Amino acid sequence: MSTLLQLILSGILIGSVYALMSIGLTLIFGVLRIVNFAHGEFLMIAMYGAWAVSHLFGLNPYFAAIAIVPAMFLFGTVVYWLVISPALDKPHLVVVFATMALSIFLQNAALMAMTADLRDIPPVFNRSISIGPIYLKGELLLGFLITILCTVGLQWMSKKTYLGKAIRATVQDGEAAMLMGIPVPRIFLITFAGGSALVGLAACVMVPLFSVFPSVGLNFVLIAFVIVVLGGMGSIEGALAGGICVGVVQSLSGYYIAPAFGQMFFFVLFLLVMIFRPNGLLGQQGAAMVGMNE
Amino acid sequence: MSMVIPAPISSRRIPVLPKRGQISWFEIVLLVMSFGLVVSGIAPSLQDVILLSFLFAGLGLAWNIAGGYAGLISFGHSAFFGVGAYTSTILLLRYDISPWIGIWAGAVIAGLFGAVLALICARLRGPFFILSTLAFAEVVRIGALNWASLTGGPEGLSIPPMASLVGMVFASKTTYAALMLGYLVFVYAITKGLEASRFGYYLFAIRDNEDAAGAAGVNPLLGRTAAIALSAALTGVGGSLFAQYFLYLDPTYVISPELSFQFALLPAVGGLGTAIGPVLGSFLITPLSELLRSHLGNAAAGLHLVIYSLGLIVVMLYFPTGLAGALNKLTHWRPFR
Repeated sequence: MSTLLQLILSGILIGSVYALMSIGLTLIFGVLRIVNFAHGEFLMIAMYGAWAVSHLFGLNPYFAAIAIVPAMFLFGTVVYWLVISPALDKPHLVVVFATMALSIFLQNAALMAMTADLRDIPPVFNRSISIGPIYLKGELLLGFLITILCTVGLQWMSKKTYLGKAIRATVQDGEAAMLMGIPVPRIFLITFAGGSALVGLAACVMVPLFSVFPSVGLNFVLIAFVIVVLGGMGSIEGALAGGICVGVVQSLSGYYIAPAFGQMFFFVLFLLVMIFRPNGLLGQQGAAMVGMNE
Repeated sequence: MSMVIPAPISSRRIPVLPKRGQISWFEIVLLVMSFGLVVSGIAPSLQDVILLSFLFAGLGLAWNIAGGYAGLISFGHSAFFGVGAYTSTILLLRYDISPWIGIWAGAVIAGLFGAVLALICARLRGPFFILSTLAFAEVVRIGALNWASLTGGPEGLSIPPMASLVGMVFASKTTYAALMLGYLVFVYAITKGLEASRFGYYLFAIRDNEDAAGAAGVNPLLGRTAAIALSAALTGVGGSLFAQYFLYLDPTYVISPELSFQFALLPAVGGLGTAIGPVLGSFLITPLSELLRSHLGNAAAGLHLVIYSLGLIVVMLYFPTGLAGALNKLTHWRPFR
């Protein structure tokens, strides 16, 4: 019984970290209606950044966020200007190929710069936190708290601030928003850069938990897409719910089915969700149908 | 793009530049030149480049049937390549079946894998279709790595390098070049036939507007499945030929996302949904990649992909119709007017 509880709790915690990584993707997806295939590589770069900061300066990776989050915002801006913005008014295929090529580019640039070696940082907390018979990793607990804070903060922002309202208006109807005087291209830019900054935050949370290597993005990007599909595109609380589902399934299947299956887990899960629930948990938004007709 | 202009009587002559469903002088000259390159007995170091250009042109054409004609962009075609290569090699090593037969067995099994992928993705479009193809190839790769009793696992499989016609192992690269050119011509002929056929028009209809195609009596699921299966089977043939040339296979290379990307890259640069596009793309990019590899070696792992991907971004943003599109513009070029 306590094993089951342990598994479910750690599943929830790891799932919330996955959710944090997917929020940026779901925002970009919901607002720009494009899929950024390079999302996983953004995460990879930010993880290398967080690793480098904590490795070179001996800093706690959570403090690295102070540098990594603005850096990723800037990086997102540059990518938007160079690649995304010129592709927006072209057929959907152009965005697909351009971001796919960007992902290959970043992956191989990282391979050249950093080699294929795994990079780790030593654990931040030297012992687990125990609640009764249950042990929880401090890094996961902190990640969970950061995700909750982030979700609440973004919710507040989208309901109460002008920027949030403008973003929601753009999601509902881009043309009408433009007619109402909302600078839609600037909203696109802010969303893309902000989504990249959130990936930077996620990377700082993930770097104590996972090793970094040039192709680390592929695993996580598939997870992020599963979460976006499950939670409904553009939905922040949906991403949290979807992330927690994925985390619990991963933790239970890893224990009860076969640990050796773990290598394939992300891919098989992605395919299963695509076969059985391409319209998400609630089936309200056809996220998997985006881009079929432009 | 989907507009079909009825050919006037006067154009029954062979057109100069490639046209959908017709053989043009451009293609005939290209074929004669390729054949000339094979028989001229050029330096062996160059023969390597030439025969790989033929092989990859064929693979790009095979990808193009799904990606270009049916609009099913796949970044998982290396799975079919690997399945084809492994099938013919395992049949040869275990059961002593000649690759001349094994290749077709590989094509059938790769085609079945393609059909399975099409059914998995039956309800998916656009980005999620693409991600599913990626995930599918990863599952196949990890499966091949772990099923060591069949595939040899990470150590891979080696074909004994004894030249024999039955074993499809040749001492001279000229023979291999002829074989690869044969493959290219075979896939090209299928593509050209497809362009003029009813099935080809079904695929264009599904690509351009699936709902309208369905309403007009085309079964989209059947069309998509057939397109991916055909594309996968032809890719599998290419995989077997690759195995017969390199005489060595391992899952990390033959079923890699990089290889899948390369299959998609050639048609994208050459011109999606045209028969000549992948050929032009391969004749441009394959020599370039071999040149980079031989000059830089392993000193800069990944450099050729860095260059490709940058090139692809530029091509996609500024010349989305590729080389074939540029060629097409020539048709409307009237210098003396």
